[in-house]
Amino acid sequence: MDALVGERIELDAPLAGDFQPVIRLIIGGIAEAVDFGFEEIDDLQLAVERLLAEAGSTGNVSLSFEVEEGGIRTLVGPLSERAVADALHDGDVGSGTLTLKRILQTVVDSFGVEESADGRIVVRLEKLKGPL
Amino acid sequence: MTATSRSDRAREEDRELLRRYHERGDTEAREQLIQRHLPLVRSLARRYANRGEALEDIEQVGAIGLIKAIDRFELDRDVSLATYATPNVVGEIKRHFRDKGWAIRVPRALQELNASMSGAIEQLTLKLSRSPSIAEIAEELETTPEQVLEAMEVGSAYSTVSLSTGPAGEEELDPMETIGSEDRGFEVSEHRAALQPALSRLPSREREIIRMRFEEGLPQTQIAQRVGLSQMHVSRLIRKSLTTMREEMA
Repeated sequence: MDALVGERIELDAPLAGDFQPVIRLIIGGIAEAVDFGFEEIDDLQLAVERLLAEAGSTGNVSLSFEVEEGGIRTLVGPLSERAVADALHDGDVGSGTLTLKRILQTVVDSFGVEESADGRIVVRLEKLKGPL
Repeated sequence: MTATSRSDRAREEDRELLRRYHERGDTEAREQLIQRHLPLVRSLARRYANRGEALEDIEQVGAIGLIKAIDRFELDRDVSLATYATPNVVGEIKRHFRDKGWAIRVPRALQELNASMSGAIEQLTLKLSRSPSIAEIAEELETTPEQVLEAMEVGSAYSTVSLSTGPAGEEELDPMETIGSEDRGFEVSEHRAALQPALSRLPSREREIIRMRFEEGLPQTQIAQRVGLSQMHVSRLIRKSLTTMREEMA
């Protein structure tokens, strides 16, 4: 995995249409290359899938996967759907509340929202590799 | 007691339970009928194993056929429930395979790989005490990581039957029902993208799995152990449940 640190793969995909399987497959391939376990791959795939489900259905979305020390950093965006930012910026989510934020808190190690100058947002997901 | 008299007695007991259910609406009798005939479903489901789907999924589909047979059984029929249910169970399983279009869309080798992955993941998880990597799964199954990834995608591509939300009684088949009795549920949320309202409409098993994953924070491996399903099946149920909830909220 160390040899891959710093490597980045970028993908531009339409939000409309059923490209989820393609995106999942690509995430699986990248995560496999850095020795993620089955469950970690599944978690990262689910995080991106849920994020895209909230991101609207028009235009394209860029996904960037960067191999970091011990994990993968994923950037999704820019997204024009403010609901995603609102959902992720909301305050503490109660333990019994199922929201996008709760889902991401469960399946990735950290996430954040970066705002761009044009008011759109980029969501950052960090997923670490478990012990092998 | 001879085999014939045991069989006759079982048939009589079935008829009495069918009478209780159809004439008096005794749902406990219905549940007993389901339990009594689950071995038949398992036996029939095994005939369709190794065709690209986990046996437990096929059994679930077959169980739906059994329930339909129990619900549709006419008391004046001079036929045993087992005889009447068999074509219903087989028909339901065949319909499932046809609807999912496995044979057409997915190469048989990938179907088989997908089916064998559940067992391999279970074994490796036990052996390694962690989630196996794709390379390890590939090595175990004597295939390539690329094939494993494709087979994973094949598994994600089809929806599991229990989420098609049939008659309420169908879910009673699942052992998760008992665990579901402690269903605390999620609170109503004011946050955007909250999926709460749709959560309550999921079958109790899926609701419980979602609760374990996102409220208790349990990993899939532990959930799989608790509910007696494979990790791959749990993964599919989580994914499908979230998609279903999102679609309902749209």
